[in-house]
Amino acid sequence: MREALLSARRVSVRFGGLVAVDGVDLDVHAGELVGIIGPNGAGKTTFFHALSGVLVPTAGRLAVDGVDLTGRAAHEFANHGVARTFQTPRVFRGMSAEDNVRFGLEFAGRRRQHARDTFDNPAAILGLLGLADAAGAPAGGLTPARQRLLEIGMALGARPRVLLLDEVAAGLTLAEVEATAQLIRRVRDELGVAVIWIEHAVRVLLNHVERVAVLHQGAKIADGDPRKVAKDPAVVEAYLGEEVPA
Amino acid sequence: MKLRNAMLAVLAASVALAALPWLLSDFLLALALSCIMYAGLAVSWAMFCGASNYLSLATAAFFGLGAYVTAWGAGALPYGLSVLAGGIVAAAFAAMVGAAVLHLRGAYFAVITFGLGELVRHAITYYEKAYEGTVGRIIAEAPESTTVYWTVLLVSAAAVATAFAVREGRLGLALRGIGSDEERAQTLGVNARRSKVLAFALSAFFAGALGAAMAVRWTYIDPPTVFNPFIGFQTVLIAMVGGAHTIIGPIVSAVVFSLLTEFLRLQFPYLFLTLLGLLLILLVLYLPGGLVSLIERWRIGERWRWRRGDA
Repeated sequence: MREALLSARRVSVRFGGLVAVDGVDLDVHAGELVGIIGPNGAGKTTFFHALSGVLVPTAGRLAVDGVDLTGRAAHEFANHGVARTFQTPRVFRGMSAEDNVRFGLEFAGRRRQHARDTFDNPAAILGLLGLADAAGAPAGGLTPARQRLLEIGMALGARPRVLLLDEVAAGLTLAEVEATAQLIRRVRDELGVAVIWIEHAVRVLLNHVERVAVLHQGAKIADGDPRKVAKDPAVVEAYLGEEVPA
Repeated sequence: MKLRNAMLAVLAASVALAALPWLLSDFLLALALSCIMYAGLAVSWAMFCGASNYLSLATAAFFGLGAYVTAWGAGALPYGLSVLAGGIVAAAFAAMVGAAVLHLRGAYFAVITFGLGELVRHAITYYEKAYEGTVGRIIAEAPESTTVYWTVLLVSAAAVATAFAVREGRLGLALRGIGSDEERAQTLGVNARRSKVLAFALSAFFAGALGAAMAVRWTYIDPPTVFNPFIGFQTVLIAMVGGAHTIIGPIVSAVVFSLLTEFLRLQFPYLFLTLLGLLLILLVLYLPGGLVSLIERWRIGERWRWRRGDA
């Protein structure tokens, strides 16, 4: 079996007495599109913080392409190819949209070349996201929906090998969600990156990913084919009878 | 391309300014020297603080350290070499301290850097008294005033050129990212700590070199003179009034400030500090974006008028 690109082993994050992430194992391979779902407060975003080095886990180990990065700083995760978006867009508000994308290319992205790189410059990345017209505009002046897209652009600028997307479809219309999902698949297909995608809206996610992991109260309670996971009694229980559509 | 034009402009301006000793009286040359020194200090301060949104009050510490390098080396080190050494000592000190305190932000960082100046001042006072048996030092062999002028001009021009290079380069981009959202910049691969320490040390180099170059102007130096907090405050105010996110703003503001200070001092010798303070309050209240914001406002107005005429 080939080695996982991103590997989390029994990762836990505790804040005082609260266990936000509880011994989660996750292996993601190149080219995989994995979803993570879970009720509010399940620890999804905290898990992302750990995967991207923003937060050092209380216990467990993290490795990227076989390199153990446990306890290292966020920029080292970025330099090893982990790029992420934030749930609440954190674009550089005073910089132009183009400079926001150029930022990743100048730092983490300098270390890598994608095999077939169609998105090798800010203009191409902004074009892919439909933000070409906003290239010169200050990022802080974009609508929240477009800032969310720009977040993806910033992460793509870092030429990721593992792309972590935190609720990029939140607040979008159904058509926009569909377009964003197509975009994510295209990025995955063309660049061969591994994508981990968190979404609070379960329906949206299950339609677009090939594998899904479910977090509940910080622990992973299911991991596998979306259709099977949706019928898993533990998952149905976690959502308190909320219908989990396949 | 943009960077090359900026460098050529700096070079042209420096060559033009280098001719001033043949054109100006001693009094006016001293005034020009003060303008150029403050331009160098303000630009080097803004090099780090303007982009990264850090408020450093350590300029007086770096300036004073540089001045003391000249004083200690007087007789042993040639003038040019002590200027270089002053810069290097200040930069090394900034790198050491920066590594320890640059994780602090806002008021905490400002207070720590201010305390730093006091710490160095008292440490030097103690050292001089306890081990050298002196409170101040006389610099007997001062170079010609034109040599001092050209040296200060050279250091300030180098500071401006470096500021342009930093702004157009990756370090400047990293600093802008850090100033905007440090954690976000880190998740995109910026080693924030290294960038900050590097920029802080670079900015301290010029403040130290300017202190070392200016020390010979005093002939007698002691800690209260060269670690005068006024130098640090003045630098910060000049940069902020001019617009710390730009390079040209602090330069223009340094000239305006130095001339204004001199004018007020001559016209109203007893009231000049009061008037200066009043002016500052008005500027901060009504022109928070700095002097450059006047130009930016005017430009936006022009564009707007042009568009309206077009429609």
